[in-house]
Amino acid sequence: MSAGDTHHPEPPSEIEARALALESLLVERGLLTSEAVDEVIRAFEQDIGPMRGARAVARAWVDAAFKQRLLTDAKTAFGEIGITEHQAEELIVVENTPATHNVIVCTLCSCYPWMILGLPPTWYKSAPYRSRVVIEPRSVLLEMGLEVPREVEVRVWDSSAEIRYMVLPRRPAGTDGWSEERLASIVTRDCMVGVAVPVVPAVPVA
Amino acid sequence: MSGVHDMGGTPGHGPVVVEAAEPVYHARWEGRVHGMMRRLLMRRVFNLDQFRRAVELIPPARYLASTYYERWLSALETLVRAPGRSAIPRAEHSADAAFRVGDRVLTRASETVGHTRLPRYARGKRGVIESVHGPYRLPDTNAHLVSIDWEPVYTVAFEARELWGSQAAPRDSVRIDLWQSYLERSRR
Amino acid sequence: MSDPDREVADLDGLPRKNGELVFEAPWQGRAFGMAAVLRNERGLEWDAFRGALIETIAREPDAPYYASWLAALERVLLDRDVLTKQEIDRRQAEYRTMERQGVF
Repeated sequence: MSAGDTHHPEPPSEIEARALALESLLVERGLLTSEAVDEVIRAFEQDIGPMRGARAVARAWVDAAFKQRLLTDAKTAFGEIGITEHQAEELIVVENTPATHNVIVCTLCSCYPWMILGLPPTWYKSAPYRSRVVIEPRSVLLEMGLEVPREVEVRVWDSSAEIRYMVLPRRPAGTDGWSEERLASIVTRDCMVGVAVPVVPAVPVA
Repeated sequence: MSGVHDMGGTPGHGPVVVEAAEPVYHARWEGRVHGMMRRLLMRRVFNLDQFRRAVELIPPARYLASTYYERWLSALETLVRAPGRSAIPRAEHSADAAFRVGDRVLTRASETVGHTRLPRYARGKRGVIESVHGPYRLPDTNAHLVSIDWEPVYTVAFEARELWGSQAAPRDSVRIDLWQSYLERSRR
Repeated sequence: MSDPDREVADLDGLPRKNGELVFEAPWQGRAFGMAAVLRNERGLEWDAFRGALIETIAREPDAPYYASWLAALERVLLDRDVLTKQEIDRRQAEYRTMERQGVF
């Protein structure tokens, strides 16, 4: 390989070659198409998990009417962006404002809106979080990296019944003109549980 | 019941530990337990309230020392040994809504022996009805297959200082979703 | 999420981060996707695949998750005479020598 030959690709590893072999043979046998495989990957990387919630947040940030629908009838609003599979429970989205910061817990077990946020993290199900966030939310949030100013009300929602909650975080400054996709990319699961807020990356991703 | 599961506001559990890039299941068997629980639930071998109750029955020391899925496994073992009759019809009742948004309410102060979804930290406390939901089956009777009682569920807002005293930040609040049976009208 | 997707997503041990599936390299996504498509569209019995996955992991517990996944998928396809080991070996060699090239 010459020094100037920057476009010459490396051969695939053993296992990459094995995966390629299987896929190409299965395509030749007519058992699947690469496009079908692409679609599954896309669905699992983008659809299932917190990206569902994040997409709703991004849409609410750019569309005030959608935001109102999200806050008053979350299931219908999620349906509008193509998310129709829900468990039977009610879903309520609660909005962070300059005066209010919301955080979600289930002190009695660990109920969680997993259809729109994916599966819950261990810390959410843990005794320290369940016991402390109702009584000392500000210390818990601070430990997790979020300081809430004294003049802001912290509202803790204890999901003790069949209603599931998700937080609609505030849109951060420095995001003017961003596409919905880009906005959704800064909305993490932790923002929608209420233990973090969306952060604009300091350095643009190349 | 005041099992150790009812842990809102209880001290001594230490800091919240956040695992970086944690897997959903720490071991393969955890996924099997999750799958088993969901399949048995779908086949109505037990209902969700019975399942939660079975988790709550784990002796306190073992409950606290167990991981989340270890508790699920214990609950499944309990339920399989004492098969439920959740498919058998029971007397069914429906309660009309007794409260409206803005009503001041007082939560039940007494302890229950059986399953309940009124957290201990919110017993005998005053709050305000913020919204009305349901009706939903009252877990207190559904977990024990006594009867099916459909009741409204209310989101009740409590001032943090009402729950925790003056140590709490003055502006903060806690909202809890409570079945109608847990509430009575407050005189103040 | 449809029921087949939920069954696939609930599978034990799938590496995740922030609740989302993690593929450390494109071939892992391809391996995952192939199994899911065969299950969804070609009637691959999920229990059979899962059984093969568990056996493969039991034989080599320290192998990376998706290496076991790929091996289990291959096992299931061989057992059903969908493909032969010789043709997979041969095709793999063609990719290794770059006689054949593909894009993930």
